[in-house]
Amino acid sequence: MKGLRNLWAWALLTPPLAAAVVLFVVPLLYLFYISLHAASPSEIYGSTLTLENYTSVLSDGFYLGIIRRTIGTAAAILALCLFIGYPVAYFVALLPTRRRMIVLLLLLFPLMVSNVVRAYGWVALLGRRGVINTGLRDLGVIDLPLDLLYNTEAVVVGLMTILLPYMVITIANTLAALDRRYEEAAQALGAGPVRTFLHVTLPLSTPGIASGMLLVFLLTLSAYVTITLLGGPRSKLLVSMVYDSVVGFQWPRAAALAFILLAIALTLTGVILAVLRPNRVQGIGR
Amino acid sequence: MSAAGPPQGAHSAPSGGLGAQQMRDADVRLDRVRKTFGAVIAVNDVTLDIERGTIFSLLGPSGCGKTTTLRLIAGFEQPSAGEVYIRGKRVTSIAPYRRDFSMVFQSYALFPHLSVAENVAFGLRMRRVPRAERGAAIKEALELVKLGALADRYPRQLSGGQQQRVALARAIVVKPAVLLLDEPLGALDKMLREEMQVELRDLQQRLGITAVFVTHDQEEALTLSDRVAVMRGGVIEQIGAPREIYDRPVSEFVAGFLGASNFLDGSVVAREGAIAVVATAGGHVRVVDAAATTPVGAKVRVAVRPERVRMSGPGGEGLHGKVRSIVYRGPVTHYYMDGVGGPLLAYAQNAGAADWAVGDEVRCAWDVEGAVVVAPERA
Repeated sequence: MKGLRNLWAWALLTPPLAAAVVLFVVPLLYLFYISLHAASPSEIYGSTLTLENYTSVLSDGFYLGIIRRTIGTAAAILALCLFIGYPVAYFVALLPTRRRMIVLLLLLFPLMVSNVVRAYGWVALLGRRGVINTGLRDLGVIDLPLDLLYNTEAVVVGLMTILLPYMVITIANTLAALDRRYEEAAQALGAGPVRTFLHVTLPLSTPGIASGMLLVFLLTLSAYVTITLLGGPRSKLLVSMVYDSVVGFQWPRAAALAFILLAIALTLTGVILAVLRPNRVQGIGR
Repeated sequence: MSAAGPPQGAHSAPSGGLGAQQMRDADVRLDRVRKTFGAVIAVNDVTLDIERGTIFSLLGPSGCGKTTTLRLIAGFEQPSAGEVYIRGKRVTSIAPYRRDFSMVFQSYALFPHLSVAENVAFGLRMRRVPRAERGAAIKEALELVKLGALADRYPRQLSGGQQQRVALARAIVVKPAVLLLDEPLGALDKMLREEMQVELRDLQQRLGITAVFVTHDQEEALTLSDRVAVMRGGVIEQIGAPREIYDRPVSEFVAGFLGASNFLDGSVVAREGAIAVVATAGGHVRVVDAAATTPVGAKVRVAVRPERVRMSGPGGEGLHGKVRSIVYRGPVTHYYMDGVGGPLLAYAQNAGAADWAVGDEVRCAWDVEGAVVVAPERA
């Protein structure tokens, strides 16, 4: 009986597993292989094995600055999404099921608009001849247009508005599934609203916080359109460098940068999971 | 029964008109409490007092309002009318966390992210007990429930029975004025449940805690309680000591909910002091009616517990019956009989006395105090 069920499980798992190995793991290994070679003017990569692609990036102040900016931007977006998203999620979760579903659908609605369109929306708002600058000048508040666009702040605001729904939806779903008896148990033991939240609700919602943070963080690292259109040439992030290297036919360097990006993603994922420890309550909250 | 019970061992006081003494000793008092959810009246003008150091059970079928009543005491529900008192203090409009109670939930609601010791420590932390004093209290509470060795485990690593004990330890460690228990043994299997009933009773008496216990299991209510309130449709049908509500049920519902009963319809034909003689289809039966609530001529329903019924041969006295089927249950045998006015049921102890066979003609009799007049079910 159990053997049969195992057989079924494997039968169902094998195709996607095989696809993942062929389409993801193998190319990744190949990419890593490329990253260990010198550049070549005619081929994708040269014949000499070298760590030069990694050492040059990690010892170059320019690249280190970009890595720092990438992590800083991601951290700012994460913090904003968490501090704005959690309270919203908390109140969404309190709504009756039907109304909660409607609100969550409304939150999803902006995601149906292309990121390119949304980025140009921000350009129309924040640009030198954008709505804000024109408005302020017409009101006589400013004489010269403000530089609202093409800086890290613009990237943070632009990405944050795109990614906030992911945070709200994951946290709201966790909170809505939470058994309210836990909060009542805390109150029965003398915990007021604030301490009930800090000691019970918040730790029990860590699975939602962790998924929300990981989604936002990983989508930030891989976002390109928004960064390019709102950050301009002065606020490039690591992804932009990967793109620039590819465009410059520096395939091995692009591969190395991709792996540095992957390492950052894995490390910070590990940090988020280690701090929140969602596994303590995973699947128990209901 | 509760021979080891603290101060008030006897429960002879009538459920109405409470004396000043009782008022002072009531740890929980509900005064005409009503709770409506939309058009539904979940709790309808419930008044009750729960004496210090006793276990009080709210017993009834699901939807009878027992859990809502408990949640009104806790403050998780706000009464639509009436007042709630804990230890003489009016708490009707006070938030749950400011009320002096703790609670054991049906699902236990142990905090999954905290270890056993941290779960037990929670109430002490919230009450700002210094860390130095917590350790000893936690240890003592865990030893009371025999879980001292599992302090560092997490709830998911424990069995249902162990989780139940942790929930109990977490609730008693804060030494609440009232311990509320919402079907705490409902999720345990029968053997474990009976074991926990005895332990719970033992623990409550040792600590002298006042406890309010919600259950739909009449055996559990009879085993554990000093007093029981039988609820239906948001109303308390009867409050009394277990023996009182079992032996002297006021209504057919109470009699039926607490166990099997024979119900005989008839009319009162004579009175002999505290005894009423009722003519039923099968013959005359005598019923205790000390309050003399049934005048001669009144139509009444009489309830007789099957274990009170004595069977004898056709020459004996009592109502006529013919054995239809027999169920052997080990210590007792259940005899289902056809009587003149309807079916009759008797539980006979298997003490080596005479047996009856299907088809036997018998007579059923009982001592006069075995029969009681009950309010019939509204059809």
